[in-house]
Amino acid sequence: MSLALGQCTISGKVMDEKSQALPGVNVFIKGSFDGSSSSVDGSFELKTAIQGNQTLVFQFLGFKTQEIEIICDQEIVSVPDVHLIEIITEMNSVTISAGAMQASDQSKSVILKPLDIVTTPSAMGDIMGAFQTLPGTSTVGNDGRLFVRGGDASEVGIYIDGMKVGNAYGTTTGNVPTRTRFNPNLFKGTFFSTGGYSAEYGQALSSALALNTKDLSIRSQGDLSLMSVGGGYSHTLANEEHSITGSINYFNLGPYQGLIKQDIDFVKAPKGWDVEMAAQKKTSKNGLLKVMARTESGGMSLWQPLPGSENKILIDLKNNYSYLQANWSSALKNDWTIFTGISYSNNLDNISYDSLNVERSNELTHLKATVIKDFSDRLSGKFGMEHFIHPFSEKSVKEKLRRAFEDHETYLFTEWDYYFNKDLVLRTGLRAGTSSVSGESWLDPRISFAHQVGKNGQLSLAAGRFHQLPIENYRVLNTDLQNSESEHLILNYLLSKEGYTFRAESFYKSYDNLVTFKGTEESPEVLSNGGSGYARGFDFFFRDRRTFKDTDYWVTYSFVDSKRRFNQYKTQVHPGFAPKHNLSVVIKRFIAPLKSQLGFSMTYNDGYTYTDPNVDASEMNAKTKSFQNLSLSWSYLPKPHLIIHLACSNVLGRENVFGYTFSREANSQGTYESIPQGQVAPRFLFLGIFLTLSKDKTANNLNNL
Amino acid sequence: MKKSLLTLAVMFMWITVTSANDPAYEAAMQKQIKAMNSITDLETSQQVTNGFLRISDAKSDEWLPLYYAAYNQIISSFRFDVNKDQYFDQALELISKASQMAPDNSEVTALHGFAIMGKLSVDPASRGQELSPKAMQLFDKAINLDRENPRAVTLMAQMELGMAQFFGSGPEKACGMARMGLDLFKKEAAKTTEDYILPTWGKSQAQEVAAKCD
Repeated sequence: MSLALGQCTISGKVMDEKSQALPGVNVFIKGSFDGSSSSVDGSFELKTAIQGNQTLVFQFLGFKTQEIEIICDQEIVSVPDVHLIEIITEMNSVTISAGAMQASDQSKSVILKPLDIVTTPSAMGDIMGAFQTLPGTSTVGNDGRLFVRGGDASEVGIYIDGMKVGNAYGTTTGNVPTRTRFNPNLFKGTFFSTGGYSAEYGQALSSALALNTKDLSIRSQGDLSLMSVGGGYSHTLANEEHSITGSINYFNLGPYQGLIKQDIDFVKAPKGWDVEMAAQKKTSKNGLLKVMARTESGGMSLWQPLPGSENKILIDLKNNYSYLQANWSSALKNDWTIFTGISYSNNLDNISYDSLNVERSNELTHLKATVIKDFSDRLSGKFGMEHFIHPFSEKSVKEKLRRAFEDHETYLFTEWDYYFNKDLVLRTGLRAGTSSVSGESWLDPRISFAHQVGKNGQLSLAAGRFHQLPIENYRVLNTDLQNSESEHLILNYLLSKEGYTFRAESFYKSYDNLVTFKGTEESPEVLSNGGSGYARGFDFFFRDRRTFKDTDYWVTYSFVDSKRRFNQYKTQVHPGFAPKHNLSVVIKRFIAPLKSQLGFSMTYNDGYTYTDPNVDASEMNAKTKSFQNLSLSWSYLPKPHLIIHLACSNVLGRENVFGYTFSREANSQGTYESIPQGQVAPRFLFLGIFLTLSKDKTANNLNNL
Repeated sequence: MKKSLLTLAVMFMWITVTSANDPAYEAAMQKQIKAMNSITDLETSQQVTNGFLRISDAKSDEWLPLYYAAYNQIISSFRFDVNKDQYFDQALELISKASQMAPDNSEVTALHGFAIMGKLSVDPASRGQELSPKAMQLFDKAINLDRENPRAVTLMAQMELGMAQFFGSGPEKACGMARMGLDLFKKEAAKTTEDYILPTWGKSQAQEVAAKCD
């Protein structure tokens, strides 16, 4: 049959890889306007007056375009079934969620948003405070640092833009809780892992916390803050190519403590200042250079009571800290991405216990380079190299005694992601390290995979080995100390629907070569890698932003069962920083007529173990009463550029106790006298006024909530 | 060599000039615009987007088909129950292609802001901080590129109204801009003809904002 009327009808059917009909596919003849769209059953039909050899194009957003050759020489041309292949992207594919919690505005599985860090009442604007409401963490109220799944605070590695931060927390003493040094407003997103994390991170047995700084600022503005505990000013200059922010802050708890009675006998209330600069510059269309520098100084002094005695010790602390980092990342040709960075931190503590004056200096230089190659939308490989220079020293000033070490560590790592299809991904990684001081080399394999279950759910599994060198205070006493080691196994289920997130996770982790010693934590002797233990448990997280109008809430429950032999303990004990049952509830509600956001947060755990020599001679034989904290906050936005924020922690004034210190010797009645380790004050009250100054009327102050 | 380059450049200019007056192209555009104005469901909307994409594929130097494909994706995600983020992302991708062909085009810039506004509307509480100034800046830029562009002014008015509602302040500023937008629409209507294919949408949005002012 020849083409009589000069019209040719082309028909066929379009499907996906699983032979499901694809409606809405754009089917057309290349180079012409003749075309049609496939219907609900995937079938299409198009008429054309064009004759002869033609290319038929099948185009559908999110799928690879396919072309077939046809010959329009008959009235009806049927083409064989076409199967389009979906392009795998971050948005449509499964992600590995075992152990991982991402705080970003873009991520589809929302656990925490960057804004939550500043709007969670119990957090009091501290990054760690917000993370303490997430699964797998415990609140240790007189410490302030992050404790993850039976691990101590040193087991959490903290990174800014992939670069390790030495001494990320402020130095503290005498049961005064610490805070993160860095302001949450610096960051656009965070990645918090409670185990089984990427081969990119090492030297952290329990957890990796990666904070990502903001990209280019979009406008020039000034931000003024006036708070009950201090104040600050920050100024940003920005155009389309670069931006720079400089800020200066001062805080002093003195006037506040003068008004509200504290349970700690401060001689000089905590105070300090900091100066910070952060700059960003576009180096090309896909290249960005970031530089950050910060220096700060602070201190406090207080009387610490001694159990079973009228005497007190005067503790005086001075801290100086500087942090510098620069990093450059860029997308190159042929799907290569490169990242290079350098960071340096320097922490100097000067602490006096009565007449003993100790000076500690800790420096960390981190050099890092990674390259990523996307071989296709299914396979990508990452290669990285890191080097750390880490000198540490401590000296007793009067006695002129000094001890020190300088470690050089080198790491190589690689990680491969392979998508079998968009519902199944496998990630394998390997990390190798060496340390010059401990004189050892080690290898950490990691593996994880994730599988889509149903429309909104996914199941992930992660396993891996992790190494971490002991803390500096111990290494300096025995430079032969080796890495401690941990192995993780994590099973995770994540369900995310619009407005809801549910997450359940169970884990097992082993500990080996933990540091043990004779004596006490303050003066350890005969240190070795003699400890071991385990932690196991499960946790649940539920967040709902939909059911109640203008209301967002989340509920977290974590169960941890942990035993370890470590520090001075002669047997495997339940550590004091790992409460078994942990519950937290956070509720936020925006009330438009009042132009206010109200926040509520409640934290509970069943108490902390401690050793009570009055019971028997065994270790960790007692437990404190439960910890409870109810915090409230009120943010009032009368104008777009003004916020008034009022918050109160532990509103009910519960007297939380975190443990007891006992006297060394029994008194005449044969009992060991004790002093509870409590809170700095029953409540903490915060009032802040935040004002944004900008020529641009669209500037608002939501980022300072 | 120089001469051949010049010839090439002249040829390119000739191609661009002729394609702008390509009757087949204009007819195809008019047909799709007509179809776009009578969309009733998601299926027909997808057909219209596809239609514009086909024209764009055949006329790879024209920004207008990409512009309409993106615009239709934005409107569809407001109208129909779809994965909104995905639709806005697709629109943004098309807009970025269009703006490479027509850099500093007021219409494309305003549409870019509109797509950003869409992304913002998905989760205003947490995206507002980053995206609302971004959208405002784009509308501002679009207005500066063409002070007669009623869509840029109207979208800015919508944004101002949203901000005013959020902070409980008066809608005066938004109202003023919406009225300005309506005046510009009148001017635009005077010059449009049957076969006009440049963007003309947005009058009802301006009226909606203006309605809040009485």
